[in-house]
Amino acid sequence: MKNNSLLTRRDFLVKSFTAFSAIYIIPDIIPHASASKPLDKEVDSSTRWAMNVDIDKCVEGCSACVDACVDENGLYGFDRPETDSQWIRKLTLKDIKTEKISTLPMMCQHCENPPCCDVCPTGASFRREDGIVMVNQHTCIGCRYCMMACPFKARSFVHENLTEQVTNAPRGKGCVESCNFCANRIDHGADTTACEEACMNEGHQAITFGDLSNPNSRVNKAIDNKPGRRLRADLALKQRVTYSGF
Amino acid sequence: MDKIIFKKFIIKPKLFWLKFLFLGFFIFLGFLSSLYMEHEGHYITGMNNQIVWGMPHMFAVFLIIIASGVLNIASISSVFDKKLYKPLAPLSALLAIAFLIAGLIILVLDLGRPNRLIVAMTVYNFKSIFAWNIFLYSGFAVILAVYMWTMLDREVNKYSKYMGTFAFAWRIILTTGTGSIFGFLVAREAYATAILAPLFIIMSLLYGTAVYYLIIRIINRYLNFNISEEIISNLRNLTLYFLFANLYFLALYHVTNLYIAKHINFELFILTSGGIYTFIFWAGQVLIGLILPLVLIMSNKFKDTVALKYASILVLLGGFSAMHVIIIGGQAFPLNIFPDHIILDSAFYDNVVHSYTPSIYEFILGIGGIALALIIVLIGIANFKFLPTITPPSNINTQKD
Amino acid sequence: MHQLVKSFAFIIFIFNPLLTSSHDGEKHSMKGHSKADMMEQCVEPTIVMQKEHFKFLYHQRDKTVIKGVRTKKHSLANCIDCHVSYDNKGEAIPVNSDGQFCQTCHVETAVNIDCFSCHASVPRGKQVILKSNDNIKSISNIHAKTSYLIKNLEDMHYEK
Repeated sequence: MKNNSLLTRRDFLVKSFTAFSAIYIIPDIIPHASASKPLDKEVDSSTRWAMNVDIDKCVEGCSACVDACVDENGLYGFDRPETDSQWIRKLTLKDIKTEKISTLPMMCQHCENPPCCDVCPTGASFRREDGIVMVNQHTCIGCRYCMMACPFKARSFVHENLTEQVTNAPRGKGCVESCNFCANRIDHGADTTACEEACMNEGHQAITFGDLSNPNSRVNKAIDNKPGRRLRADLALKQRVTYSGF
Repeated sequence: MDKIIFKKFIIKPKLFWLKFLFLGFFIFLGFLSSLYMEHEGHYITGMNNQIVWGMPHMFAVFLIIIASGVLNIASISSVFDKKLYKPLAPLSALLAIAFLIAGLIILVLDLGRPNRLIVAMTVYNFKSIFAWNIFLYSGFAVILAVYMWTMLDREVNKYSKYMGTFAFAWRIILTTGTGSIFGFLVAREAYATAILAPLFIIMSLLYGTAVYYLIIRIINRYLNFNISEEIISNLRNLTLYFLFANLYFLALYHVTNLYIAKHINFELFILTSGGIYTFIFWAGQVLIGLILPLVLIMSNKFKDTVALKYASILVLLGGFSAMHVIIIGGQAFPLNIFPDHIILDSAFYDNVVHSYTPSIYEFILGIGGIALALIIVLIGIANFKFLPTITPPSNINTQKD
Repeated sequence: MHQLVKSFAFIIFIFNPLLTSSHDGEKHSMKGHSKADMMEQCVEPTIVMQKEHFKFLYHQRDKTVIKGVRTKKHSLANCIDCHVSYDNKGEAIPVNSDGQFCQTCHVETAVNIDCFSCHASVPRGKQVILKSNDNIKSISNIHAKTSYLIKNLEDMHYEK
């Protein structure tokens, strides 16, 4: 028994190499592992997830982010556009003064003062410590008050029975849902959302996501270059999603 | 006080059961349609991701407002110590409890997850006015029950004044809470104003009086309990005041909105360009609900009873229109997410006025709710002594008991 | 009153075997094969799992949703991953379908499962497939890993 507890020279080399590679090599291979959180660690406010959309880079007619979101979260609808869920949608706008046409994705803005959470009677609508606003569908009673309160129409109510939910995005009839910054992915160590990834893959790089607390995060770099603006700033909701290029 | 003798609503059993079954039938239908809604999901209703609150909420809010309003009579008798109304006060409290329960049941049956009612009753977010309302509503029901007890049981009768005052305070807070459900919604032009709370209170006073009068008229058809002329002429005056007050607050609400630059587009939408919503506002809420009743009540051509009866019916029609304008109209106007931009294109109806066509299921659910309120009243008055045998003239009652 | 208590006791006595019946020694699922079939025991001793599994799930679900804890041990996704059966064609059979792992006991004890109106009852979705490929100790694993690496390299490329 004693012998077994001692490391042989060979074992030592093998183990230290494994450890070395685990620490130094693997994180370089696994995407964005620098921000990864151990699975058992609770989220805290030292991480502040945020997103910026550069409107000048967003391409009209492109819906890669929307498609990726649908794919990631299994948001397959029933061809009933008025009741089907949308977590992210594309809008085309015209500036009243300059007549400039722009297009942008619209999703939950992850407010720091979220009206949806204020009005939710059961507290099912809540803001995670890292700033992600989401619905605890175990306590959501489906009253839709949050949808009344949201200034951005970011939330959808599941209007019918679902069967093809994906494992990472449980969702079901009678509850309200919305973009959750791909919380499942992030908790598993990624620091990119499906929409950002899709936007990058398209080569547009309009969407940047990351941790505001990390000065080197993509979102911080993007905002440094081109400040982001909050929508409906008059409401003072301090959204974590900003738009630059307005 | 001791001179009032209360009695049960005793009519021919056949007649009673006929009424019971008639109401029961609608309750059954309402329950069935709510089951269907829950089973299939809300896509079968007219509600969608644009108009998230629909007809069930119109009915529910309407009934809850009425619940607070029908307590008027009891409040006048206890808080303002008008002996004249004492004999009618217990019925007033029963009506309040019945309409409250019916309104809440509609609200609950429309939830996406009504089976999680227990969650709503056990987990609270105290920042939510909705959560506060759960307390206000259930508290109101309890207070009303105790209040009825103090009114009907001679042994505890001396406390009825205090309970009445308490119930009065509670109902004012309750209607404030109901109004604030909308008043606290900062994002929507239609709602983000505290004036909705007093507007709702004054609406509750008006609708409650109307409902109360219509119900005693109906009861009176089967069982004469001699509502005195004086009471009727008082109710007519009350209705007149409430109508004026309602007009005043309504005008104030809309003028305020006209004045706030941020809200002006919505205001013009409701007042001029909103199609069905504009029509319902002017024809339903203003003309039928306020102007015509005012004319009826103020005119000398009609007897008190006639004027009050038709005015009450019109007021209730107008009240339901008001619910439509406030609840549906408020959501129909698209959210102003980009004040400096025009939305050219959206996959999620961001740039269009939303339309709402209620389904038969929602409508039947609402009707079932009303039937539920009435059946509670029917069962209540048939089993407990709520109705005064005779309403004594006020000159006897103004003397000390 | 005494009679009532007696009859209750009788009913409980009659149904007792049903209420406490276990599947010791039996294969976990009636149809198809699952990973769990090959395991000695679940994440906790079998008797504990039989009696307390919902407590673990409840506890985990709040930790997961509110605190973002994603440990696998008591996660529903992990339960399904292991307990789901695959038929001869390799298709996953929902755990809540008749005769399957969850449903068998829940029918017997007449306890409604509310999980699967929202949660996927088979492993499903892009990430899940990626993860399970990663876990399988087989040649296909190498293929999965390479494609994973290639994809990540692409990601890194886009970042620049």
